[in-house]
Order: sequence, then C-alpha cells, then structure tokens
Amino acid sequence: MTTTTETQSPAARQQGAAGPGAPGRTSRLSAVKRQDALTGYAFTAPTIIGFVIFVLGPLIAAFYLSLTKYNILTAPKFVGFDNYVRMFRDERLATTYGNTVLYVGAAVVLINAFALLFAVLINQRLPKGLTYVFRSAYFFPYLVALVYVSIIWQALFQKDTGIMNYYIAGLGGEKIDWLNSPEFSKLSVIIVDTWRNVGFSMLIFVAALQEVPKDMVEAARMDGANEWQVFRRIVVPMISQATFFNITITIIGAFQIYESIIVLTRGGPGDASRSVVMYIAEVAFNKFDMGYASAIAVTLFIIIMLVTLLQFRLRKSWVNNE
Amino acid sequence: MSRLDTTVRPSRSGTGKAARRRPGVGKCVSVALLVIGAVGMIAPFLWMFTTSLRDAGHAYDLPPQWLPTEWDWSNYAGAVSGPVPILRNMLNSAVIAIAVSIGMIITAPMAGYAFAKLDFPGKNSIFVGLLSSLMVPAQVTIIPLFLLMRTFGLLDNPLSLILPGITGALGVFLLRQFFLGLPQEIIDAARMDGANAWQTYRLIALPLAKNAVSTLGVITFLGSWNAYFAPSIFLNSTDTATLPLGLVLMLGPYGAGNVAQVMAATTIAIAPALIVFLVAQRWIIASLTQSAVKG
Repeated sequence: MTTTTETQSPAARQQGAAGPGAPGRTSRLSAVKRQDALTGYAFTAPTIIGFVIFVLGPLIAAFYLSLTKYNILTAPKFVGFDNYVRMFRDERLATTYGNTVLYVGAAVVLINAFALLFAVLINQRLPKGLTYVFRSAYFFPYLVALVYVSIIWQALFQKDTGIMNYYIAGLGGEKIDWLNSPEFSKLSVIIVDTWRNVGFSMLIFVAALQEVPKDMVEAARMDGANEWQVFRRIVVPMISQATFFNITITIIGAFQIYESIIVLTRGGPGDASRSVVMYIAEVAFNKFDMGYASAIAVTLFIIIMLVTLLQFRLRKSWVNNE
Repeated sequence: MSRLDTTVRPSRSGTGKAARRRPGVGKCVSVALLVIGAVGMIAPFLWMFTTSLRDAGHAYDLPPQWLPTEWDWSNYAGAVSGPVPILRNMLNSAVIAIAVSIGMIITAPMAGYAFAKLDFPGKNSIFVGLLSSLMVPAQVTIIPLFLLMRTFGLLDNPLSLILPGITGALGVFLLRQFFLGLPQEIIDAARMDGANAWQTYRLIALPLAKNAVSTLGVITFLGSWNAYFAPSIFLNSTDTATLPLGLVLMLGPYGAGNVAQVMAATTIAIAPALIVFLVAQRWIIASLTQSAVKG
C-alpha cells in the first residue's frame, strides 16, 4: 500500500506539472498541487508579514539610519559615513566595547568550562533521582528572568550587608566592594552571567555525552587508554558539535548583555561595567542621537553575524577531525 | 584546546583512574562537587524566599538565615500595595505573554507545516531568509521599531510588544523540524480521502504536533514573561510597565528599596518559571521513557 503511493505520487505529480490540461487523475493531482501552493503561501503569510515588518524592514532601516543624523524631531539628514568615522574617536564606545569583549571572553571560557565539568560529572552512572535533582537545580536559573536573578544577586553583593562579603570575611578575607569598584563591578556581572547560563550549556553537553558510543570508549580502555586519554581522544572530538554550539551561543548572548548590568551596577562606576548595548540604548533613547546609535548597533550586528559565520566555517575543519 | 584541558582536569581526578580502581571514591568526589554546584544554584533563591518572609528591619541580618524562621507574609501584602503597582504590572506581563503565546502557536505551526509538507515556488529561499533573521540581534532593530511604534502611536501600549511577538523564526523552525519527521503517507492518505489542505493540517497534522506546540507555547510565554530590553524601551509609565520593569522600579537606584518587599515581589515573579519548570521536567521524563520504549 505504502510502496504504491510512494512510487506513484512523484511520477504523477510530474505529469500534473507537465500537462495541466490532462484529463482524469492527473488534473486532480495538479489541482491538489495548485491548492498546496496556495495553502503554502496562506500558511506562511502571517510569519512572512511579521518578518518583513518587524525584522527585515527595521534591519534595512537601521542601515539607512546609520548613514544619517537624526534626532527624531527633524527629518533624518544624510551624512554618509560620518557616524562610522565618529566611532573611532569615541572613547566611551571604546570602553563599553572593551567591557563587552571582556564579558564575551569570560562567558565563553567560564560558562563552557563549568558546563562541561558538571556535564561530565552528571553523566556518570548516578542514581536516577540524583541525576534528576542535579539537572533540575542547574537548569532552573536559566528559566528565571535575568532581571530577577540580578535583583537577588545585587542584594547578595552589597558591601556591608551582603552575604558574599559575610562569608568572605568569615574566611578571613577583606570586604569587597562588588558593585561600586571598577574591577569588581565587572566581576559581579561575569559571576551572575556565568551562574545563570551554565545550566543550559550543561544540558547541551549532557545530551552530546550520551551520544558518545559506549563500545568505542570500552574498546579504547581495553587497549590500555587511561581515562584522560579516553576523554581527550574520544569524548572531546565526539562532542565537538555541542562545544561549537555552546561557544557560539555564549558569544552571541554575552555580546547582548544588558539588564543584569542595569540592575547590578547601572554601568558604573562611571562606565567601568557598561556594555555596548547599554551605550546604544543611552545614545538612542536618552540623547536621541538615533543615527549614531544605529551605526553602533550595525557594528554589533556585523560582529554577531561574523562570529556565527566564522563558527560555521571553523566547524568544518574542526569537528570530528582531530 | 587549552580551555578544554583546564576544564577537564578536575573531573579526571574525580572520575578517572581512582574511579576505576575503587568505584566508590571517584563517585563520592563527583557527587560532592555536584552538590556544591547545586547548592550554589539554589542558595540565592532560598535566600530570596527566606528574606521575603522576614520583617523588613531584619532583612539584612547576618549571619544569613537559610531557612525561614518565621512565616510572616506581610511583605507580600506590602509589595503589592506599595507605590509601584506590582499587581497591575503582573497583569500587563500576563496579558502580553498570553497574547504572544497564542499568536505564536497559531502562526508558527502553520508556517512550519507549509515549509515541511507543502510545495510552493520560492519556499526554500523564503525559509533561508527567515532563518537568517535568527542572526539579527534585537538591539539592531530596536531603533527602527521604536520609530515605527511611535509613528503608529503604539508606544506605551502593550501592542508594541504583542505585534512583533506573535510571529517568529524560531517557532517556525522548531515546528518545521517536527513536521519533517511526520510520515508523508499520513498526509497523502488524508488527501486521498478527499480532505483539502486546510483540513489535512487542522485535523491530521496539527493534533499530532500537540507536544511540539505546547513546548513552543511554554518557551514563548516564558520568553515574553522574562523580557526586559524591548519593554524597557517601548513602555514608559508605571501603569503600562511589565513586571520586570516594575521590579526594577521597586528596587530603586542602587538597591535602595525595601529589600524584604522586593524579595517578596521577586518570589511572586519567579513563580510562573517555577511552575513551567516543574511541568517541563515532566515532559523531559516522558520523552525519555518514550524513546526508551521505542528502543
């Protein structure tokens, strides 16, 4: 039954396309085909309209605005690449981009390192209930809004009343000004970002670890490989797909870091912990310098696009090819 | 590579040779490490909840109390009757999140089905275009979107968040993946029986996608419920603010707000995530057992 349908239908469809006027079964199929096409357009129409109005159109508009001077009160004035040239002289942009790159680097290293560590630990043969509890605990912060977890953490980070300093003092350390010192304000942002995102990356690693063929690992052990060699030579290459996915999403996520900083440090002291997205929002919606803000946003878009494309490129030469 | 090296060393000592020689020791070390990590994950939430039940004057008492010593719910009453209309903000968040989720679970499965099971000219290029929109960060489109909403008088209006939210490439992608896995014979059989394309979708394909659609609904709801960036730019009065905006207002600059009340409000705000989490965990187990049965 199935085989006849399978063999018949492509041939019949071709006929339908070739001769729309052909009688009987063929014309019925061509009517079906036409109906399919119409339905296809109808079904995708809402999504396509939404995409054009809310993504594609604004994206093109952002490129256009980046070439203008526009304060929303008077019409945009075309200024060529002035906004892009201006970026090179903007020290605040250099600072905020520098901070953002630091957040990205920290996210890539810390989130993935902890995620892989916990994934390897959780992937052992532990009692089922225990695995479930651990997985749940690590994943839960990821489901909670970054704003909410940041609200909790800013209380924990308070210099005189916060728990972090209480325990640090208990261990004999100095009280740290987590939220108001130039160095530690950045570290606070990094801690919250790592803490919240580690669970998601861990789940990706766990899924990948479970795909590693057990017999391959066993065979390597039979051949005298120690655990480290097994991990380095078999497990790491086998999970490189997941590693790439995780690295890409941590880079993209960290480039967009925003609300945790607003809650924790408000970007301060000065611009010490301000991210580039905060700077874009400030230039656009406090100073109403829409053209310049768009130009900065376009650079962010290009960076994120390049990172994504680069990851795909590298992946080809890297993955499963050790 | 050096990154992975440093990552893995601790687990080596935890699970490596020692684990093989004496299985108990390695496992104990890894369980201990996992427990430390899990405590670190849960402790801030525990502190939040405990603090929300404390008298405001003792909110910052040290040493910290990890378990509630009293069950004083007055901070919850205080939080919802304070100067920031938290309940109103919650209602705003709920209306937006529900509207966006309903819109998404209508539009995304239809488009996903079309891309997976229907032939129409231009299908592949449209799909690739949609997918590439996943690479566009919200920060790039926010300025033109702001201007668009301003032109149509939608600033400070929930529609400014609902309209862009009811369609999206991620949902289409997820549902397309599901429908690609649906055997073509099921679709063909329905067509042979005389069902038109809409009936085939509505009566045959969509009911089979129930789990995928529910997952999409939950993801969409949570994404909207947790959103901060776009709401913070489109909404600018306390009456239209969503809950995340309301909580930041309540916290005040530099965390000056009444911390016990803020933690009470945060506890309320986290509740939906907790519920979703409990439900989603059940689905994960269900899908695991299902694949185990299939073998």
